[in-house]
Amino acid sequence: MIEESLNVSMTVDGAQLHARVRPRYLLSDFLRERAGAGGVHVACGHGVCGACTVAVDGTAVRACLMLAVQADGTHVQTVASLGELEGDVPAGRDGLTRLQTAFREHHALQCGYCTPGLLVSTALFLSQRKAAARSATSCASPGRASPGRACAGRAEILDHLNGHLCRCTGYANIIAAIESVLT
Amino acid sequence: MSAAPEKFGQRVRRREDPSLLTGRGVYLADLIRPDMAVMRVIRSTQAHARIKRIDFSSIVHDPGCVGVLCAADLPVGIGTLPAMDLAGDSAPVHQRVLAQGTVRYAGEPVAVVLANDAYAAEDLAERVIVDYEPLPSVMDVHTGSQAEAPLLYPEFGSNIVHQAAQRVGDPEGAFAAAAAIIEENFSFRRLMGSPLETRGAVAMFEPGSDRYLLHSSTQIPQVLRTELARITGVSLERLRVVAPRVGGGFGCKEAVYPEEILLALALQKFGRAVYWIEDRAESFSATVHGREESMRVRAALDADGIVTAIEVDCLADIGAAYSLYTNTPSAAVATLRGPYRTAHFRSCARSVVTNKTPLNVYRGAGYPQVTLAMERIMDLAAGATGLDRAEIRRRNLLLPEQFPVDRGVSYPGCGRIVYDSGNYPALLDSTLEAIGYDGFPARRAQSASGISLGLGLSFVVEMTSGGGAEPARLRLLPNGRLQLLSGITAIGQGSETTLAQILSDHLGIPADTIDVLAGDTDDSPGAPGTFGSRGATMGGNAACQAGNAFILEARKLAAELRGVGLENIDWDGGMLIERAARNEPQCLMSLFQQAEARGFAPTERLSVTARFADTPVGFASACHAAVVSIDRGTGVIRVLDYAVTHDCGRVANPLLVDGQIMGGVLQGLGGLLFEALEYSDTGMPLTQTYMDYVLPTADTAPRFILRHIETPSPLNPLGMKGAGEAGCSGAGAAIVNAIADALGPTIPVPGGSGPFTPALVRDILRNAQLEENSEC
Repeated sequence: MIEESLNVSMTVDGAQLHARVRPRYLLSDFLRERAGAGGVHVACGHGVCGACTVAVDGTAVRACLMLAVQADGTHVQTVASLGELEGDVPAGRDGLTRLQTAFREHHALQCGYCTPGLLVSTALFLSQRKAAARSATSCASPGRASPGRACAGRAEILDHLNGHLCRCTGYANIIAAIESVLT
Repeated sequence: MSAAPEKFGQRVRRREDPSLLTGRGVYLADLIRPDMAVMRVIRSTQAHARIKRIDFSSIVHDPGCVGVLCAADLPVGIGTLPAMDLAGDSAPVHQRVLAQGTVRYAGEPVAVVLANDAYAAEDLAERVIVDYEPLPSVMDVHTGSQAEAPLLYPEFGSNIVHQAAQRVGDPEGAFAAAAAIIEENFSFRRLMGSPLETRGAVAMFEPGSDRYLLHSSTQIPQVLRTELARITGVSLERLRVVAPRVGGGFGCKEAVYPEEILLALALQKFGRAVYWIEDRAESFSATVHGREESMRVRAALDADGIVTAIEVDCLADIGAAYSLYTNTPSAAVATLRGPYRTAHFRSCARSVVTNKTPLNVYRGAGYPQVTLAMERIMDLAAGATGLDRAEIRRRNLLLPEQFPVDRGVSYPGCGRIVYDSGNYPALLDSTLEAIGYDGFPARRAQSASGISLGLGLSFVVEMTSGGGAEPARLRLLPNGRLQLLSGITAIGQGSETTLAQILSDHLGIPADTIDVLAGDTDDSPGAPGTFGSRGATMGGNAACQAGNAFILEARKLAAELRGVGLENIDWDGGMLIERAARNEPQCLMSLFQQAEARGFAPTERLSVTARFADTPVGFASACHAAVVSIDRGTGVIRVLDYAVTHDCGRVANPLLVDGQIMGGVLQGLGGLLFEALEYSDTGMPLTQTYMDYVLPTADTAPRFILRHIETPSPLNPLGMKGAGEAGCSGAGAAIVNAIADALGPTIPVPGGSGPFTPALVRDILRNAQLEENSEC
């Protein structure tokens, strides 16, 4: 086992970090312990549940399955960067983004442990669908397409959500919350 | 003062959400600091064995090793964990803090290693050598309850550690006179609540003091504190337990666990703050399991389809020891008749120890099993009598005018079972309409080729709001804000929102001037905790009682300040008004400041404590209906539509109650279609990850149709009954009845909880095919 520490640099939610870490140090631990990113929740450690999902250079990644050294030179965004990921400036008293507000309105969370990872990957999903809507041909439900809006049918939403486990809500309100930001 | 008071019954959005949505919720893992030591538990690799040797020699001198503990290192007298003996006559098969002499399940704590970081702790733990001499193991209740079975506790002479029999009326006579008898065996698989946040705890001394502070992801901080004191000998005054935000409980965190005790002992011995967080693989054998039991049910019917008698025999597989309660797995058996009149009844429930992880409560605590069994019996009875499934239920339901209904049986630890309120025929009518019962034959006729549709019904009547008296404190802060200190630990159910809403309505003040704090034993002495669908009812009534006491104290103080009699001061929406006087109404902040200025000690006087009495438990009820499709080619079952009409008395916040129902239904669905904790024949746990223990995903969620009927409970001033478990308790029953309906009357469905995976469904279909083609 390589125990020799290596240098890593990355930005986490906009802040530049340099550290020496052992090669086996997980990105999820790095984010929580070195970057103070408490919104990265580790629930299974096996890459199944999706609670620790973060954006690494704009791609959804299970932080429990990536080593910190693998993220060297990347930009990492957690739920703290949700506004950026959504392209939405949080407004209002609570400082919540559009997606966060939809989750609250639809009671799409209970214990909240799966929520931050789910929000990150949903924001990425929505921006992909927005890009798809711009090239209208790949939109599954063209009737609902409008400029600048993401477009996704129920099947695509479920396909996206199947990458996340939630033990509390029964999912129906999560699906409703995501549908509400699409229409 | 900004907003209007929130109203009881309003769909109030949660105050918890802004912090949780932004990743700022403080869970157990968020309390860990770099200077803390970490504990790693070395667990038994054997189901049943003698421990021959534990050898730490290769690690004790390692600079990364902070310390080690095995049973021999524990202070004298520290042995077993508590188990509340609900029945009073259970054999004391208690879990141990650390195994000594023998291990009785794979995963049982044998020793712990403390290190400076989690990676080092895992490495060190792997270097500890434990030698075992295997013993024959008991892996199922049928062989385990035989006289010649190997014994887990030879001192008790049997693996049957508890049995309870109850009877009502003359069941033998009813069976002798029966027009038809239905009999079915049920096998319920081992499941677990498996909240997304695993268990964990941190032990430290309070800064600048020798007082122990244990943070634990627990549903029952107060019980944990009491037991910590009893087990460790540290006085209660020197123990404080705090539950931070808990990432899901479902009964998994309703026990006192070895790790919590070990952390306190490690802190005592090594003087250093120390934490432990369960990893997911570990959780499948270290956290309590639920449900596993084997049941035989017989029903006597008369010529009109009335179920005149029920007999049930149950063997509960409680694992290697009791967890927090001695016999909840089998206790619900006494309530198997649910909403039906059935005059004659006999039950026999036995708890059997096996070489598996201890069994405790999991959402519904026995009700999912008895509901499934009773509701399968009703469908089989409908088949046998030719009656419609809704009609046979209607004929047997208790009627609204019969309440309160003494069922003639008792639930261990909770006394006589008396249904307080309900309107079961109305629940049935509502649910039949919601699911489209009358139109279903036409819908079924239109299903695609290779797809079978089925509809299933179920009824739940379950005990809620138990657990004992509930305290609440209310205090006014100098800034005019009210603080409610509640014992209802936040495990995701939105109790802060609900309690603030109830109190806002009761006091007539805006909810955003009320803060709700929960989970700290310093704030809520004697609080039972969060479990058994009790939070809103018990916490809400306690909050209102504290509110009444607060209003009285505020009026008294205002009267004294003005030198008038108490009868001259009225409370009106947070304002104190002097009758027949022309001065301005006084707000709470002004009252506090005036009292402070004049030396009336408002901090003490406007801090009140209430205790909502230990009332009889209320019985919530629900009628469920599911529509499923079965793909006869692939064996895949989909639950398409799901209707619930629920009666939890007066509904404080329908948004959150509906959330509880839907989440519960999906857990019930998972337990029937996907989930099972598997063991090898030699007792090795085969379920280690979420790839093995398959939780329901978003695509399995049905379309929900949810309704409420409110029959207020007469047992508490707010007329509430609990809502946390009804979804889970009825779902397996409705879905399995829908599966049986889809397969049709000629294909028998195995009794119990499956799980009805595609493989099992295809086996059922293949066997039916073989049967059909058989010539002899």
